[in-house]
Amino acid sequence: MLKKTTVLIMIFGLVLLLSGCTRGDYERRYDDSNTLYVGVVESSFPIAFMPWLSRDGVAPTISSMLYNTLFAYDDDTGDFLPVLADEWYYVDSDGLPILTADGAIDYERLEAEGLRQIMNPFAGRMENYLTVKIMLNPDATWSDGTPVTAEDVYYSLDIAKNNYLSNHAGALAWTADLLHVYCNMGILHLQGVFTYNRGAAEQGYIISEDERDHVVYIHVRDVLGAVTSLFTTILIIPQHIWQPVVSRESQLNSRDPNADMLHRYQNPVGSGPWMLNIEASGPSMIVLERRHDYHMTDDDGSPLYKIDTIKLILYQDVNVAIYAVLRGHIDLLHSSVSPNYARLFEGRDHIFVSESDGIYVQTLVMNVNPESGQRNPMRDLLGDVDFRKAIALAIDPDELIDLVANGSGQRMSAGLISERLTDFYNPDANILGGDQHDKVHEANQILDAMYPEKDRSGYRLLDGERISFNILGHPGEIELISFLEIQFQKIGIEVNYQAKGSSPETTFLWTSNFDMTIHGVIFSLVNVDIMLNAHFVAMGRTSNYGRLANPELAAGIHEMRRTLNLNRKYELIYELQPLIAAQYYKIPLYSANVISVARTDRYTGYEVIPGSTLFSTANLQTITRVNDQGGHS
Amino acid sequence: MKKSYVIKRIIYAVFIFFIVLTLNFFIPRIGVDDPAERYYPPQGNMSELEYEIIKQFTREQYGFDVSNFQQYLNYVSDLLRFNLGVSFRSGSPQVITLIGHRLPWTLVLSVTTLLISLVIGLLFGTIAAWKRGRWQDSLLLNASTISVALPAFFIALMVSFYLGFELELFPAYTNPNMVAQFDWSWRAIQVVMNNAALPIMSMSIGGIVGYSQSTRNSVIAVTNEDFIMTARAKGLNHRTVLYKHTLRNALLPIVTSLGMSISGLIGGAIIIEQIFNWQGMGTLFLEANSTNDYPLMMGIMLFLSTFAIIANLVTELFYVVLDPRVTVGDKR
Repeated sequence: MLKKTTVLIMIFGLVLLLSGCTRGDYERRYDDSNTLYVGVVESSFPIAFMPWLSRDGVAPTISSMLYNTLFAYDDDTGDFLPVLADEWYYVDSDGLPILTADGAIDYERLEAEGLRQIMNPFAGRMENYLTVKIMLNPDATWSDGTPVTAEDVYYSLDIAKNNYLSNHAGALAWTADLLHVYCNMGILHLQGVFTYNRGAAEQGYIISEDERDHVVYIHVRDVLGAVTSLFTTILIIPQHIWQPVVSRESQLNSRDPNADMLHRYQNPVGSGPWMLNIEASGPSMIVLERRHDYHMTDDDGSPLYKIDTIKLILYQDVNVAIYAVLRGHIDLLHSSVSPNYARLFEGRDHIFVSESDGIYVQTLVMNVNPESGQRNPMRDLLGDVDFRKAIALAIDPDELIDLVANGSGQRMSAGLISERLTDFYNPDANILGGDQHDKVHEANQILDAMYPEKDRSGYRLLDGERISFNILGHPGEIELISFLEIQFQKIGIEVNYQAKGSSPETTFLWTSNFDMTIHGVIFSLVNVDIMLNAHFVAMGRTSNYGRLANPELAAGIHEMRRTLNLNRKYELIYELQPLIAAQYYKIPLYSANVISVARTDRYTGYEVIPGSTLFSTANLQTITRVNDQGGHS
Repeated sequence: MKKSYVIKRIIYAVFIFFIVLTLNFFIPRIGVDDPAERYYPPQGNMSELEYEIIKQFTREQYGFDVSNFQQYLNYVSDLLRFNLGVSFRSGSPQVITLIGHRLPWTLVLSVTTLLISLVIGLLFGTIAAWKRGRWQDSLLLNASTISVALPAFFIALMVSFYLGFELELFPAYTNPNMVAQFDWSWRAIQVVMNNAALPIMSMSIGGIVGYSQSTRNSVIAVTNEDFIMTARAKGLNHRTVLYKHTLRNALLPIVTSLGMSISGLIGGAIIIEQIFNWQGMGTLFLEANSTNDYPLMMGIMLFLSTFAIIANLVTELFYVVLDPRVTVGDKR
C-alpha cells in the first residue's frame, strides 16, 4: 500500500512539474513591432491616471506622458520650450509685449513698466502683479480629437486654486503665485486668469476672433519664478471631460469617486504624445500607444517620437528586473540600479550602461535653531557656526563616495549649486575641498579651543557629558550614518543613528525635535525661487528643518526672488552661494550618479541625460528601432 | 461533540475578534495627532491657511472630523456591512475589492503549496519513521537541517535564476498578462500553472520538510505507545497497525500544525510573491506599507486576523472529532 501511494504521489508530482515546465512567455523575444519593453521596479502600478491623483512611483512619469504642461524647461539655459503653448511674454498696462527688438524679454522695461497693483480682498492688502500673455499651439488636440483651447487652460488653473472643487495640496503650492483667489466656499474673490470668454476684454486685454481659443492672460505675483511652476508643473486637463462631473460632492480628485468619475480616472484623455491602451493594460503591465495626431513634430516634420508602443512591465524585485534586461525580456530598465551591479553588465553583448551625474544632493542638516521647547545643551552647540564648520571639515567626501556610493557619485560644492550649471556655479562656495588630513587638523583646532576636555574614549565633553548627537535617517541611510560616525570620531564627537519613521516631517522635523538629519536637496534654475526660500528662510512646514535664521542670507534670497531683472537674479544666485556655504547648515555629502541599463539589440540612439535614467523624454525622442537604421546596434 | 464546548469556542472566537478589531482600529492611531497629516503631508511652500483647508477636507472625506470613539462606532458599523473602507491609492478603490482581486491568486499558490507539502510530507515522514535509522531517515534529517538554513526567499531567488533565467525550464517571474487575460479557458489555466510552478516549488520545499519531520516524530512517538504494542500482540497485520492505529493517532499534532498553516494561507508569502511578481495578498500588503495606505493595511490585517480566528476555531472543533478527550477539560 505504501509503495502504491508513493508511486501515485510521484505521478502527481511529475504531472504538476510537467504542467509548469515550459519556457517563460517572454513577449519581447518574438515581437517584431516597434514596441519598447520597459521594466519598472515598483510595488504596484497606478490604476487611475488623473494627474492630480497619481503621486506615487511611476504614476507622475505616466501622467507626464499622457498630459502636457504649457512649456518645458531647459535647466541648463533657463529657456522655456514650447509644448502646449508656443509663446509667452509679459505685457504692459496697454497690453503690449515687454520684449526687446530680438524678441527676448526686456527686463529693464519689465521693472519700469510691467508692475501693476491690485487689491487682494482675501489677504486684505494691495498686491503687485505682472501680466503674462500665453499663446497656445492651435494644432494641439486632446486624445479624443477635441482641440485644446484657452478654456482648458483657464479650467486647469482655476480649479487648481478652487478648494471647493478640488483638494490638491500640490496644485495649491504650484499655483501659489497666481493671483487667482478663491474663498473656501468656492466663490472667486480675485480673478487672475483671463480668456476671450472669461473677462479679458474687461481687463483691457484685446483678443481677436482668430485667436480667441488660443490666448490666455494671467496675473502673477512680482516674482520672476512665478511662471516657472505654472508653466512647467501644472498638467493641463480637458474641461469638456471634467467639468460635467466635478462638483462639491464629487471633487476633481475625489477620494470616493462615483462611477462617472472613476471611469474618467481610468480612461484618461490627455494632450500628451502618448495615450493609454486600457484594454491591453493590467495590474502588471501598462501599455502606452503613440498618438499619431500629436501636434509636435521633429524638425523634419517626422513624428517627434519614433516608437509606436511602450509596454511598462512591473517588477517588484530589482534583482529579477536586472536579470530580465540581461536575458532580453525587456529593452531597458526605468529604475536606476546600484553600482554594485556594474560587474554584472561588463562584457555583455548588446548592453548599454549609462552613468549620469545625479541632480539630487544628500546633505547633513543640523538643527541650528530649535524651538524653545526642543532646546538642550547639546543642540545649542549646533547653533555655533564654528562648531558646525568643524563638523563639516571632518567629513571626507572622497572616501564617502568610495565607500557609501561605491565610487559612483560626485562631490558637491557647499553652495549646493552643481558645477554642471557652469553659468551659475560659484567656485568660491566650494570651501570644503582640500587635503583631508589638514581639514581634520583644522576641525580639531577649532574644537580644542572650545571643548578641550575628552573622556577615556577620546570623545569631547560638555560639562562632563560626552558630546553626542543623533542623526535622523531611514534604514537605507544607516551605512551613510555609520560612515559619519567614524568620521566624527576623528574630531571627538559621537553620533548615532535614529530611525525617522514613516512621517518624519510631523514627528521630528517640523517640530524641531532632532539633532541632525540626512536630507536630499535639488537646486536648479527651475526651482531656485521656491527652494532657496524653503530651505533657508521660511520656517514652519518647509524644508528649513533646522530653522536657520540668518538675516543677511534671508535678505539676499528675498532680493533674488523679487528682482524683475533676470541678469540681476542670476548674479544674486551666484552671490548667494558663498553665503549659503558659510552657514555650514546643510553640509553637502555627495550626489549619487544615476546608473541605468538598456539593451541595444532592438533599439539604439540612447543618450546619457544628467539625473535621469535612460527612460526619459529626451531619450524617447532619439531612440529608434535597430532595423530602421540598417540593423546596427 | 459537546454542544457547550462548541458554543464556548464560538463565543471565545467572537471575543477575540472584537479585541482584534479594536486593536486594529486604535493601534494605527497611537501617536497620531491628526490622521489627515499622515495622509496629506504638506507640499511645497503652501501657507498654514492653505494646509489647514486641505486637512479639513481630508478629515471630512475620511471621517476623521469626529471623535475617535465615534470613528470607532462608524468603523464597526461599516464592518457589519462588509465595508472595510477606501484605499488611499489613486482612484480610491474599496479595500474589500482590492482584497477580492488579490485573494484568489494567493490561494492558488498557498492551497497548492499546502496540499503538496502535506501529502508529500505525510508520506516522507511516515516512510522515515517506519525506516527509522536507515538512509531514508537520515535523508530527512539532513534535509531538515538544510531547509532550516535556507530561507524560502533564498530558495526562490535561486530557482528563479537557475531554473527560470538560466535554464529557462520555467518562467522566471509571472507573465505580466496573466491576471489581465485570465478567462477560465484551459489555455489561461495552463498559463497560471506554468507561472505558479516556481513560486510553489520555492514555498513547498520548506513545507514538505516541516510536515515530514513532524509526521516522523509523531509516528515514532505513537509507535512506542502501549496500544500499538497491544495491537501488534493481538496479531494485527502490519498495514492495519500502521494505518488504523499509528497514523490516525499520529495525525493529532499534524492537524494542529495544519490548522496553523491554514490560518496563514491567505497572508501570502510576501517575499516569494515579490520575487516572482505574483499579484497576491503579500504584495498587496507590501504596496499598502510602502505607500502608507492605512485603510488598506487595516483592512488586510483585519481580514487576515478574521481568517486566522475562523481557521483556529475550525481546527479546534475538528480536533475534538479526532480526539474526544479534548472536551473532558470542558466538562470540568
